[in-house]
Amino acid sequence: MTAVAPAPVVRRNGMEKRRQRTLTIVLAVISLFTVAPLIAVVVLALSPENAPTLPYAIPKELTFENIIRVLNVGEFPLWLWNSFIYSAVSVVIVLLTASMAAYAFARKRFPGRNALLWAIIATLMVPVQATLIPTFIMISRMGGVDTLWGLILPTLANAQAIFLIHQFIRDMPEELFDAARIDGAGEWRTFWQIVLPLIRPVLATLAIFVFLWHWNDLLWPLVVGQSDAAKTLTVGLATLNTETASTSSVMAATLISFIPCLVIFALLQKHIVASITHSGVKG
Amino acid sequence: MSVNTSLRSAPTRRESPTTPPQPTPTPTPKRNLARRREAIAGILFVLPTLVIFGLFKFLPIFGAGAMSLTEYSLNGDVEFLGADNYARLARDPNFWQSLRVTLLYVVIFVPFIIAVSLAGAVLLDKLVRFTGTFRALLFIPYLSSFVMAGIIWTWIFSTDGPLNAALGALGLGPVPFTSGSQWLVLASLALVSVWKGFGYSMLIFLAGLKAQPAEVHEAARIDGAGAWKSFLYVTLPLLKPVVFFVLVIETIIGFQVFDTIYVMTGGGPARASHSLIYFLFDEGFKFFDFGYASAVGVVLFVIVLILSLVQQRFFEGKDSK
Repeated sequence: MTAVAPAPVVRRNGMEKRRQRTLTIVLAVISLFTVAPLIAVVVLALSPENAPTLPYAIPKELTFENIIRVLNVGEFPLWLWNSFIYSAVSVVIVLLTASMAAYAFARKRFPGRNALLWAIIATLMVPVQATLIPTFIMISRMGGVDTLWGLILPTLANAQAIFLIHQFIRDMPEELFDAARIDGAGEWRTFWQIVLPLIRPVLATLAIFVFLWHWNDLLWPLVVGQSDAAKTLTVGLATLNTETASTSSVMAATLISFIPCLVIFALLQKHIVASITHSGVKG
Repeated sequence: MSVNTSLRSAPTRRESPTTPPQPTPTPTPKRNLARRREAIAGILFVLPTLVIFGLFKFLPIFGAGAMSLTEYSLNGDVEFLGADNYARLARDPNFWQSLRVTLLYVVIFVPFIIAVSLAGAVLLDKLVRFTGTFRALLFIPYLSSFVMAGIIWTWIFSTDGPLNAALGALGLGPVPFTSGSQWLVLASLALVSVWKGFGYSMLIFLAGLKAQPAEVHEAARIDGAGAWKSFLYVTLPLLKPVVFFVLVIETIIGFQVFDTIYVMTGGGPARASHSLIYFLFDEGFKFFDFGYASAVGVVLFVIVLILSLVQQRFFEGKDSK
């Protein structure tokens, strides 16, 4: 093969260069498809409120007045706060309870272990919408409609998280746990000081995804947060869009809702990419 | 604390708990003790999850099945109906309309998103420079919510919006993206979901492509296969399990379409985009017909289940040939 190689390589280099250029152009065009709408949001959000937004005109000046107005107007700050609590509290509780369960499923023998794990994983096959009505009835009977705890509680059952952490802990060497046992560490200490630090990568990944799922969720918050008390940002945005709010205001609100996601992505891009490519976290 | 007490009262162990452990000829009691201690620890660690899943997953799953057999009214009155709700669904033209809408949507959405994400992955895989930048640019919409995507694209699609302005410049009349024929409206909605979601599938495809052995492609090239032939006869067959995985995921996502419809068309025009979940939402939270809405949920579950099983069978059958 080495004898034949030189000639084609030279020819291929010229071809390869042209091919790379074509590739870059095609990808730039597809990127336009993904990024242009986002740029539009930014520009519209920063356009003066009375500026024409259709079909589209480049505004003469950009202003933050929409953002500031939206942040101070009506229920918007409350929606923002609710979204934050809904996402952040869920992340913390899901990660803690799922890690504890995954550790037990992976490392402890107890009666009914396999059946229970199987039952939890099997719930991944049931679409959340299929259980929407009974979940709502239950939360409603518990007095959870229009409350944050009513919003949060049902979403804490996250089989995906248990599954992923379980895979991770299962692949750890048994010697690690033997060593902890010999050192006389109790169950809780082993979990807290050995397991949790070691599963940090999978926890970071899950934190991102659980946050995004909750932050962007619509159907459940729509059903539970009927008045403003427990409305999340997505529900508020959807209402705002159907009301007579100006395009600038709606886009400003939309932009604000997107900023936390962008920040997370900017900080943890490598993590997100790696996790999808390795395990295929369901989105 | 409770762990220790229960262990102390273990009938097999006679000596005082303060006695240092001694090597005994019969290790059974000690092993039993360790076993039991392990089991108790395991159960305690699983307990919070067990409570959460019991209340908010398992109970609603059985609840959905049970409620679908009843007339369940807002004030909590329950009347057992048997299969009446399902018979009513079978007779309800609006239900069949929603089912048809959803199937049409899936038929448009799934090939669309697979094509775009596969194309993106293949191009990214061949790219040498700026890979990370382009990957990020293509992935970014995935971070947005369907609500946000719906709001942006409502603006883009509007009669005097930028897309129609561009089409007008080409001499094409205003296209009623979200108010025209059913195919057009569903395709427009699918486009929004593809825009929002393809980055995720693209990354899965990309991982699949990176995992392929380079030698196989080298061999194909030496055999004189062009880029297209090499993709069709080497890359794609090797990628089949990944394609299958993405196909299942995206089909299930397609069947659950709701957010974009809620924001963009409200199920219209004239129920042209009134999907299955929209039907469920209306029956449950507009008409408060909880039993009937639960029956729709059960139908959705059965569809999703059958679909994954059929696809799995189909692909396994092809593999064994």
